[in-house]
Amino acid sequence: MAAGSLAGPGPRVMAGLTRFRRAPFEALVVWQCVSLAGVVAALAVAPAAVASTTLPGWATVVALLFSGGMLARVLWSGHRVGTRLRSERRRHGELVDALGTHDSRTAGLAGGEVRVLAHPTPTAYCLPGRRRRVVLTEGTLLALPADELAAVLAHERAHLRARHDLVLEFFAVLHEAVPSRLRAVEALREVRLLVEVLADRAARKVAGPVPLARALVSLARGAHPDTALGATDGTTDGDAADGGAVGGSAGDGGAADRSAGASSATRDRMLLLTEPDASPALRMAMLAFAALVLTTPVALLAVALG
Amino acid sequence: MPHKAINKLGELERAVMDAVWAAGADGRAPLSVREVHDELSRSRDLAYTTVMTVMGRLAESGLLTQERSGRAYLYAAADSREELTATSMRAQLSGMAAPDRRTAMLHFLGDATAEEIADLKAALAEVEQRHSEGPRP
Repeated sequence: MAAGSLAGPGPRVMAGLTRFRRAPFEALVVWQCVSLAGVVAALAVAPAAVASTTLPGWATVVALLFSGGMLARVLWSGHRVGTRLRSERRRHGELVDALGTHDSRTAGLAGGEVRVLAHPTPTAYCLPGRRRRVVLTEGTLLALPADELAAVLAHERAHLRARHDLVLEFFAVLHEAVPSRLRAVEALREVRLLVEVLADRAARKVAGPVPLARALVSLARGAHPDTALGATDGTTDGDAADGGAVGGSAGDGGAADRSAGASSATRDRMLLLTEPDASPALRMAMLAFAALVLTTPVALLAVALG
Repeated sequence: MPHKAINKLGELERAVMDAVWAAGADGRAPLSVREVHDELSRSRDLAYTTVMTVMGRLAESGLLTQERSGRAYLYAAADSREELTATSMRAQLSGMAAPDRRTAMLHFLGDATAEEIADLKAALAEVEQRHSEGPRP
């Protein structure tokens, strides 16, 4: 019955604990275990109620409806999110393959997976899944010297190699499965940031922190010449319908309403680049906490059924 | 080019578009699937139906335009490579706020406002300074 506490205040408190960002992998494990424990607890309500001899009949029915509803929501959300992501990736992958070219500067750096789009706005992203791609633009190649480009490619390939898309998909599914009043936007934002920090750490090993930091500035600036209009930050907002802006495309009104006080996720990433990894003791403690959180609802259920 | 790698790397889509663009530049557009197939078959082994499927998909994605001519369709590029790229980039970046889009593709970084860029530059100076003092991690 303690399921509720995991949905509401829990994620908001956890998102505020920024020092765990120095152990992004362990932090993501904790996030996943906490979320999963919430789901398990919600699903465990029904069997626990059925096994109980003291509950009145109507309470058992409520419990069954609650757990059944939760199960249905998770399955439906998983189906919907999965279908949408796959079709989005397939569609975009076809576009990128038809429009992109190979470039001699990237040919030696990555297998056949890098595509260069003929566009002046610098941008870099990866397309996970069956058709894995790292996508750059000609603007990116112009904006970045070789060491910064290597850092960006290492970052994107870390995403692809470690299947960070699956982590994000997992949280997207749970986020959508929860009724909208209970959704923790902070949690999703923090998880996105952690995934980026994880890829940054991998890129830092390959290219060093300074080229990576410079690449972050070069790409942020290149996309927005002095009349910057853009508002969205890739790792900041959850569901907020901010209007993004392509560099130089005037007339996009999304910028003004962005609160000036919002801390920039990119800035957080930048400052983490020189931070050492968290101590092994802290990392072990985080993993132990994750295991404890996940086993708690299972153990409670075992007691209830026993 | 090894034949097996063609589809895996999406080379076929690109080869089809390149053929259609080249034909457009020479004033030979629009093209039938047969013509594109003949063109591509010079350098590789390809089934006619494969080319037909790919061209159908490219038309669905809006990269090719389709017009009926007798029993067959004729295809032309909807626009130049640069224009099509600009269109898809615009659609992509404007949709970046949509959570789905952001989960489907992992961007190196999101858009930043002018103030954020100033912040970033300050942070970069700090990174550079810290790094020149400390040992390389």
